[in-house]
Amino acid sequence: MNLTTIKNKQTSKTPSFNNVKAKGEPYVWLTAMGLGVGLLMVVLLLGVIAINGISVFWPKKLVEITLTEQSDMKINGSNKIAGHISKKQIRKNGKKEWQLYVGNKDVYGFSFKFVDKDKIVSVERPKNIMSIERLEYGDAIGVPLWLKVKNVGEFAAGTKEFDRRLKTLIKGSHQLWAHIKQIEKKEIGKINRQMQSLALKKKVIGSKKEFDLVEKDKLFALDNKIELLQRDYQILAQQAQDLRVKVNEHTLGYRLVTGEEKVLPIGHIIHTVYPNKLNVWQQTKLFFYDIWHFLADDPREANTEGGVFPAIFGTFVMTVLMSMAVTPFGVLAAIYLREYAKQGLFVRCVRISVNNLAGVPSIVFGVFGLGFFIYFVGGTLDQIFFKSSLPTPTFGTGGIFWASLTLALMTVPVVIVSTEEALAAVSQGSREGSLACGASKWQTIQRVILPASAPGILTGLILAMARGAGEVAPLMLVGVVKLAPSLPLDSVAPFVHLDRKFMHLGFHIYDLGFQSPDSEAAKPMVFATTFLLIVLVVLLNLAAIIIRERLRRRYATSAF
Amino acid sequence: MAELKTESNFISNRFQPAKSTLLVDRLMNRFIKIGGGLVIAAVMGIFIFILCQLLPLFQQAKVSPIKTFPVPDKEIVALGTDEWAELPFLLDKKGVFYFVDLAGDRGVTSVTPSFQEEKKKSSFKYRPQSQTVIFGTEDGYLSQAKIKYTPAFINGRRVVQQKITTSPFFPLVEKGGVVVAVDYADAESEKMGAGIVLRRGQKEVYAVLLTQKRSLIGKGKVKIAETYELTDQIEGEPKDVLLNSQANNLIIATSKKIYYFYRNEDELFLKQTFEPFQDLPNETIASIDYLLGDVSLVLTGFSGANRVFSLFIPKGKTTRLFGQTKEFPSIPLGANLYSKSLRNKAFLLGEKNFVSLRYVTTEKIRWQAELDFDLKQLVLNGKYNRILFLDQANQLHLYSLKDPHPETSFKALFGKLWYEGYSKPEYLWQSTGGTDDFEPKLSMVPLIVGTLKGTLYALVFAIPIALLAAIYTSQFVIREHRQVIKPAMEIMASLPSVVLGFLAALWLAPLIETRVPSLFLIVLMIPASAILFGWWWSSQSIQLRSKVKPGTEFLVFLPILIVVTYVGWVLGPVLEKALFVVTDPGTGQSVADFRMWWPEITGTPFEQRNSLVVGFMMGFAVIPILFTIAEDAFSNVPIALSSASLACGASRWQTAIRVVLPTASAGIFSAIMIGLGRAVGETMIVVMATGNTPIMDLNIFTGMRTLSANIAVELPEAPHHGTLYRGLFLGAMVLFLMTFFVNTLAEILRQYLRQKFKTA
Repeated sequence: MNLTTIKNKQTSKTPSFNNVKAKGEPYVWLTAMGLGVGLLMVVLLLGVIAINGISVFWPKKLVEITLTEQSDMKINGSNKIAGHISKKQIRKNGKKEWQLYVGNKDVYGFSFKFVDKDKIVSVERPKNIMSIERLEYGDAIGVPLWLKVKNVGEFAAGTKEFDRRLKTLIKGSHQLWAHIKQIEKKEIGKINRQMQSLALKKKVIGSKKEFDLVEKDKLFALDNKIELLQRDYQILAQQAQDLRVKVNEHTLGYRLVTGEEKVLPIGHIIHTVYPNKLNVWQQTKLFFYDIWHFLADDPREANTEGGVFPAIFGTFVMTVLMSMAVTPFGVLAAIYLREYAKQGLFVRCVRISVNNLAGVPSIVFGVFGLGFFIYFVGGTLDQIFFKSSLPTPTFGTGGIFWASLTLALMTVPVVIVSTEEALAAVSQGSREGSLACGASKWQTIQRVILPASAPGILTGLILAMARGAGEVAPLMLVGVVKLAPSLPLDSVAPFVHLDRKFMHLGFHIYDLGFQSPDSEAAKPMVFATTFLLIVLVVLLNLAAIIIRERLRRRYATSAF
Repeated sequence: MAELKTESNFISNRFQPAKSTLLVDRLMNRFIKIGGGLVIAAVMGIFIFILCQLLPLFQQAKVSPIKTFPVPDKEIVALGTDEWAELPFLLDKKGVFYFVDLAGDRGVTSVTPSFQEEKKKSSFKYRPQSQTVIFGTEDGYLSQAKIKYTPAFINGRRVVQQKITTSPFFPLVEKGGVVVAVDYADAESEKMGAGIVLRRGQKEVYAVLLTQKRSLIGKGKVKIAETYELTDQIEGEPKDVLLNSQANNLIIATSKKIYYFYRNEDELFLKQTFEPFQDLPNETIASIDYLLGDVSLVLTGFSGANRVFSLFIPKGKTTRLFGQTKEFPSIPLGANLYSKSLRNKAFLLGEKNFVSLRYVTTEKIRWQAELDFDLKQLVLNGKYNRILFLDQANQLHLYSLKDPHPETSFKALFGKLWYEGYSKPEYLWQSTGGTDDFEPKLSMVPLIVGTLKGTLYALVFAIPIALLAAIYTSQFVIREHRQVIKPAMEIMASLPSVVLGFLAALWLAPLIETRVPSLFLIVLMIPASAILFGWWWSSQSIQLRSKVKPGTEFLVFLPILIVVTYVGWVLGPVLEKALFVVTDPGTGQSVADFRMWWPEITGTPFEQRNSLVVGFMMGFAVIPILFTIAEDAFSNVPIALSSASLACGASRWQTAIRVVLPTASAGIFSAIMIGLGRAVGETMIVVMATGNTPIMDLNIFTGMRTLSANIAVELPEAPHHGTLYRGLFLGAMVLFLMTFFVNTLAEILRQYLRQKFKTA
């Protein structure tokens, strides 16, 4: 402050026409600040997401903390706490505290614990402490004691033999789980579907008031079939049951740092690791292993653990369906507006309206989708084609088809606008040249105008895809769910299930962050999913920009 | 000649296009024309579809006759009905029920309820909510008959069957006397009876409290706990008594006055006396009855006045008293036939041949007509889809009533309404409640205010940053940098709003909750530091200044920005300790906490998820759009203008502010409009980062509920084609119109601008 006032006095002596201040030079710095703040915010936002999103996968070292005897932060009376430090912060009263992820939710009832820094006596990193990823209750953190292998014997921890055995057993259990999944989802699922269709047939016949003999026979045959299927079902269910017993017959014993000893069936273990024994190379390996499982696995434990594969897949299928719907209609409308319609006040009004539709809130399209597609069109379809399964709606409820159509409607203005721009950019000369050579109007459009405007159309489409992939609000009304039992595309005829509900990355974020029973435990997953979604959307946008540039160059040279 | 002709034919054939080409061309032309037209029509159809969905909200009730049925000629004192109006009943003066089968062919069945002892009935009251008829006898006793309807399936057909159960008589007054008006309310463990008894030519008012102990084995015995004589508290001749279903409010009406008694445990005291038609000297009370929910009294006068009094806590009082909340247009002949709806706040009035269906919440007449017969009795059924009239010629008329959305009107959706239980008219959105008699409150105003509030804070934050950045980028930044900055900002515009919302709620809100003073400091310090630094820098020697190339100032400023932000962040708690100190009411100590200081000083609450957070994050969504369009507007200003200005000796700042900015002002305005449009429709950020409470204030530290968030939160649970469903469609329509209007304005401005520069 002082410095400036002194300088002010000095500069005021200089002649005025030389004074840069009078010419508003300081205000240029004010505008520079505007840009600076804008850029800084962008970097900050992306940085927060990227750091939080990536660090989720990086294996964390575990610490064992010894608290003072008088501390009131003991767990179950023990003054030892093990876990990884998830947050260090200073409280309002100036005291430092650490937040630890202590796991073992089955024993403690919580997985996060705040500890005052000044109550900590010592912090150690014991090598033999193990982090066990389980099917239930999150991670277990403790020191392994023994491994009981059925019909073979017991192995004490700390030996090479123990580690080798544990690894093979977990691998074996994964195979068994895959087998169980195969039986339960594929084979039993198939039987279920057959039974459902038989029950439906029975219902159709049964709904008549009087039967003739043929129909009675039919009913009898159906009952027989159902009974046979029932028997098959019993056999398969028994098989799955046996496998479930088998997968849990070996056990691992471990002791928590707080003293409790626990036994865990191998079948409940997904992965074990000694985090404090890892070197950088192993950590990196584990990092990519975690990322892979995040991308390829199904979610577990109310979506707070496991992966997001169904959400990725749902987003992908929806976006593809949306593009399939939006491209032809958008391009058609644009060609009509630019090449066919008489340019006048009416077309100008239409153009402004279409332009403005791109600015209409997405939720309005969601409302329209719910009212028109689901209740009106879907309800009518159900009345005509799926009457036998009513009152359970088939198309009269949210599904991936309606969601795609809704988003297609939402993005159609984007495609129309960019296609029109691209069509307008094609020079009048090429049109006239083509027509003069004897090409028909359609031939001109097909062979000359469309190829030349392809980059613009493609850009519009990619922008539409990016918008569609990131949109959540309308989807909440038209068929997105937090957990879909099956994918919209699979190996069961008719392969594409347009009536199914689906999962979506954007909705996954909303659901995890706001509807999750344990929001603190869900936080890493939300950040990881957010990062994934942002990467996806930014990549799509970048692709749009790059393709636009590249194609523009190519067609710039080939233009005549 | 002939040869020549074929020659020319041949030539013209040669140049003729192939038939298939022409065919494809014609087909495609037609296809594109029709298809393109259809797509555009479909896109426009959104508006029409939504409009069609919400139009029924503004429709009047439709009433049409279904059939007429002759009934026995008796002295009918009450008309009641089942929920579906399939088996209504008539009650005659002797206490005989006549059930009329309107759905089947059973005709009229007369049923005499069997009481434990036979007494001559002298007064009746039908309570449709509990389906009971209360009897008063000629010797001062009370009893009730309960009508139970059960649907049964006989030969595959639905048949409703009736069953009447009676309860034993109990004395209203031991001394005896003719009961001329009666009421009885059963609230499980406590029951109350009340009546007007004619004794020695004198009308006296009595009430009695009965208790019934609940035990493990069925219900206990009913015992008379207390008898009250209220005659001396009443001035004038009592005409009617009325009890609410909780059996703790007793209303006694004389021809002018209403006495409101309240029972607390076994003490019954007079709480309020009022004259409903005080300002109308010639008016006397004709009928009085509760509306559904037993909170409002509907009163009619013999000259036709019709008013509603509700229980609410008046200003300056602590208990609920009756006060007038609604006034309906008067009825030509007066009205003493009354029937309330059991679904909503509607009621039906009738007299002679005139009937009127009215809705209390909206103060609207839903339907009104002059019938071609004179009325004796009328009743609305429980489903609110049938009306029954009994005429003087003993004909029972069944009418169908179609009124799916009685609770809405233009005023209900956009105006202030006096809802039941509130002490003044208010704008409220509260679509669902816990009880059957809940009154939905569907005013769009709190939502519109919430939308504008969110938009306001977003724009307050976004406009300065975006415009400053746009001016700088378009006027001062060197070319190479601009080519990076613009696409980067464009990508920012495509960030999904769910991501921003999640960050706002789970990262930003907890982060700035305790650091509001820091935030204030940063907001003040950043522009101050920019100007001060610019000032200081401009007074440096040219040697130093030439080290920074014009157009790269923002890069130089970035580190300063980071330092200033950090300093502001750290200084915040210091400022808090100095300024925002309050005494904690819990401990009595004085603490420096802005979160407690703000409510203490302003009286408005402080919430973690507040408008500040929403404004900041929504600003994020708006900045890129605003920036891009404003930057375009600046860049599109013809270079000749700025060149001329610079050549005349103006500095780059002077050129930017005096030449470029005025020329591009329409474009800037259009950018702000489009930014506004985006902020208005933003959904996920608001859903996630606010508490979603529909409140009406502009306090920056409370949340809001916007139109879009309201749709996202409530539509998934709204029943198809219900009032809430259509109400939400109306919300969507308002949103649609708001954004469409704003965007059109922006678009027209932009086109105007483009046109202007084309000619220049």
